Amino acid sequence: MNLQLGTLEEMILIILLMKEETYGVDIAKEYQKQLNQSISLPAIHVVLKRLENKGLVNSKMGEPTAERGGRRKRIYTATNKGFEAARDLQQKRTEMWKVIPKFNFSA
Amino acid sequence: MINPPKWPERVLSRFCRPDLADEIIGDLHEAFMWRAETEGERKARRKYVLEAIGSLKPSNLKSIYQLRLNNMIFTNYLKIAFRNLQKRKTFSAINIFGLASGVAAFILISLYAFQILMHDSFFENKDQIYLAYKERITPDGTQPTYDTWVPMRNKLVETYPEITNGTKTFAAEAKVVKGSQFINEELLYTDEHFFEVFNFKLLHGSASKPFQDKSSVILSKELALKHFGKENALGEELELYLPEEDTTKRYLVSGVIDDYPANISIRPQMVLQMSSIPAYPDFVNNWGSSFIETFIVSRSNPEELEAAFPDLVESLWDKEARNNTNFKLLPYSEYYNTFLGDQSTASTLLYIGLGILLIAIINFMNLSTAHASQRSKEIGLRKVLGAYQGQLKTQFMAEATVMSTIATLIGVTIVLITLPYFNHLFDVAISIDLLGWTPFAGGIAVLIVLLAVLSGSYPAFYLSSIRVLDVLKQRLSFGKSANLRNVLVIVQFTIAVILISATLLVKNQIMYMSDKNMGFDSEETLIISASARDFTNREEGITRLNTFKNELKNKSYIKDLSISRSVPTEWSRSFTFVKPDGWNGNPLRMSYTYVDANFLDTYGITLKSGNSFLADSEGDQRTSVILNEAAMKAFEFETDANNVIKIGDHRINVIGIVEDFHFESLQNKIEPTLIFHRTAQHPVHRFISCKIDMTNIDSELSEIADMWSELGATTNFNYTFLDDRIKQLYESEARFLGLISLFSVISIIIACMGLYGLTLFIIQKRQKELSIRKVLGAEISGLLQLIFKEFALWIGAAFIIGVPLVVYFINQWVSDFYYQSEFSWFTIVETLIIMCALVILTVGYQSLKATKANPVNYLKDE
Repeated sequence: MNLQLGTLEEMILIILLMKEETYGVDIAKEYQKQLNQSISLPAIHVVLKRLENKGLVNSKMGEPTAERGGRRKRIYTATNKGFEAARDLQQKRTEMWKVIPKFNFSA
Repeated sequence: MINPPKWPERVLSRFCRPDLADEIIGDLHEAFMWRAETEGERKARRKYVLEAIGSLKPSNLKSIYQLRLNNMIFTNYLKIAFRNLQKRKTFSAINIFGLASGVAAFILISLYAFQILMHDSFFENKDQIYLAYKERITPDGTQPTYDTWVPMRNKLVETYPEITNGTKTFAAEAKVVKGSQFINEELLYTDEHFFEVFNFKLLHGSASKPFQDKSSVILSKELALKHFGKENALGEELELYLPEEDTTKRYLVSGVIDDYPANISIRPQMVLQMSSIPAYPDFVNNWGSSFIETFIVSRSNPEELEAAFPDLVESLWDKEARNNTNFKLLPYSEYYNTFLGDQSTASTLLYIGLGILLIAIINFMNLSTAHASQRSKEIGLRKVLGAYQGQLKTQFMAEATVMSTIATLIGVTIVLITLPYFNHLFDVAISIDLLGWTPFAGGIAVLIVLLAVLSGSYPAFYLSSIRVLDVLKQRLSFGKSANLRNVLVIVQFTIAVILISATLLVKNQIMYMSDKNMGFDSEETLIISASARDFTNREEGITRLNTFKNELKNKSYIKDLSISRSVPTEWSRSFTFVKPDGWNGNPLRMSYTYVDANFLDTYGITLKSGNSFLADSEGDQRTSVILNEAAMKAFEFETDANNVIKIGDHRINVIGIVEDFHFESLQNKIEPTLIFHRTAQHPVHRFISCKIDMTNIDSELSEIADMWSELGATTNFNYTFLDDRIKQLYESEARFLGLISLFSVISIIIACMGLYGLTLFIIQKRQKELSIRKVLGAEISGLLQLIFKEFALWIGAAFIIGVPLVVYFINQWVSDFYYQSEFSWFTIVETLIIMCALVILTVGYQSLKATKANPVNYLKDE
């Protein structure tokens, strides 16, 4: 598979894979929890749009809730293609890591 | 429950694509709640706003069609407008940038003019404040003097119930003592009513009881920050040396004045109570010496009060005083014009601004109508498809609105970018803050609408009235519009003629004034401010200054040296009443000053007859005077020798007469003046003037500065050169010249841009005609003549209209100056040359190209 994925795109895709269904703020919370680093919502939205265009995630509209000021969520789920893309990238990376000579860093 | 701010949501739901809005707004909202809990409300709020703005990405926005312009035809207009902009790039660029620079120039000028025209509008009761002053009535007319007496304020308030309040002020200087350092500050002595009359806001302290006691001082916020590093300086101690009182005392801060705008006349920095002056009790009921300004607040008509004043004058003095003195009231709105500047230059500039805007609007109108022929098919088609005339008008107005909006926004951007440079270049302090950003934005909106209406209405009416049949039969004649176009171009040319020649004429007058022989030698003259008041101990100060002077004299580079009370460019403001011995008439009010025996030599002032003062002659000091020629005339002396004048009963011999020299700006006539002698050791003197060798001026100055710093004065070494001082006299005129030069250039550029566009169009239309003429054997020079004939007519008409206007304007302007340069017709010729050169440059290349083109290219499609 030949799909370019940016680091942030990959991170968010993995978060999507971790949780079956999720949406913008939830991703922000998870990102902050996992990486100890805050992220802005417009950035997440852009990334989600890009992932959707690449066919790695699907989205559907959810129900409105009070804490969202009566607005509906857009709920994202990763597609099979998304799962494969993330997995391939991870495998590729593991293979490459194996080649790195360990002794260089043991000293 | 906390909620996020409302406006970002409103903006987002207006502009975001509806299918994305819920997600974006909802997420932001939820994130706000979450962050408010974890990170605190303030941070959440800030992030909310930032992220809302961040969400306004082009990809998230509604396209222009979705912007709730549910009137479909309207979106079509906009579409066509943008397409037209793109299709005719040169025309659009000329239109938009011409209009934008016109708008920018207009906004800059308006801001500048606004600042001057709105001077002192900071004071809420401006219309009720008057400066009370006295007027001396003489057979030749009246002479106003603006200084009044200490008891004046109370007398007026007590005598007339219409006068509800008043205050007195006296400007002086103070030196803040910080260890061995002395820092100069402007000082205002006043009374407890000052803050009732002038509505300055006190940040700390009370406006009704601003002074606690005689050792209270009130500071501006600026000074509080400067001396105490904080705004609330209440109760802080300040040590002041007051040269007027020759005392050093400690004061406690009892009030801090809030910042005030730059365009007000009275600018209190450091305020002391007048009654704290030790000698104050001597003046409380003294109607002899007048040295303060008295302001009153009156609800009634000033004329009624002025009519009642003669009785007051008589009750204060006697019947004789009633005949030769009167009290007058100067409305505070006239204060600026009387003492500080001239609001009429601001109005002149405003007219220039309007002129520039007019040029830009005309460009737009001309180019739009000129292009009508190319759009006539579109218009015809729209009509055939059933468009009403009204709809077509709307369409063209919409196009004009698009143009004017883009142009105005670019113009505003230009203003925002260039404002600091403009301020720096002309040494002014224009800011939008003074006007306020909301009124500014409002003004811009009004300007956009106005521009759209002005520039769009003619094309709209003209183009929409084209008859369908004419269009389809290709029988369109543009005769009528060509006439109007000629008129408009002539208006543009006229404005250009006026601006160019006015600039040249104003420059003439300024050159005349700065080049005219002043009657003294202004070259290589160094003037050092040096007064006994610069020392905490006057006696000691005089001795030290004397040493300083002697040391200077011994320097090889000092060729001549004099010490005096006044210098040319900063002449005396002191007046005395004087008359020739044996006169029965009223004494004349005349300025006087003191110089040492070397003054006339140092300045190269020519003695017309008689002698100069004798050095170190004590007798001279009491009984001799030198007059200028103007004074001789005023006294009506017939012979030059053996004249005697009297001040009171004191007889003074006129020992010499000097030729008139310009001790003030050439704006003013040379007034009579009396020159008395005081030896160099006398404390009245304030300046040391040196003829200095300029070859190593830097090292010489630093040597003198070192000598000065050893004296232990409270002031720094403070020097000027006489020729700089003379230049400074014409500072405001030079600024005016700079402003009109700049704006003339801008207006000319805009006019040339319009002309260029118009030429492109005219040549395009006439290309076929030119080609046929060429085929029939016309020479290139003949064709060029044909094209330039029209421009020559325009320039001619512009001169016929413009020159009388400019002559009128320049006569008005020059009438403010007593010494006037002659009106030079050469400048009109210069203007003509400049105009022709500009036209040839703008039009020439296009015309040449058109006449040289191969006729076949333009004739083959027939």
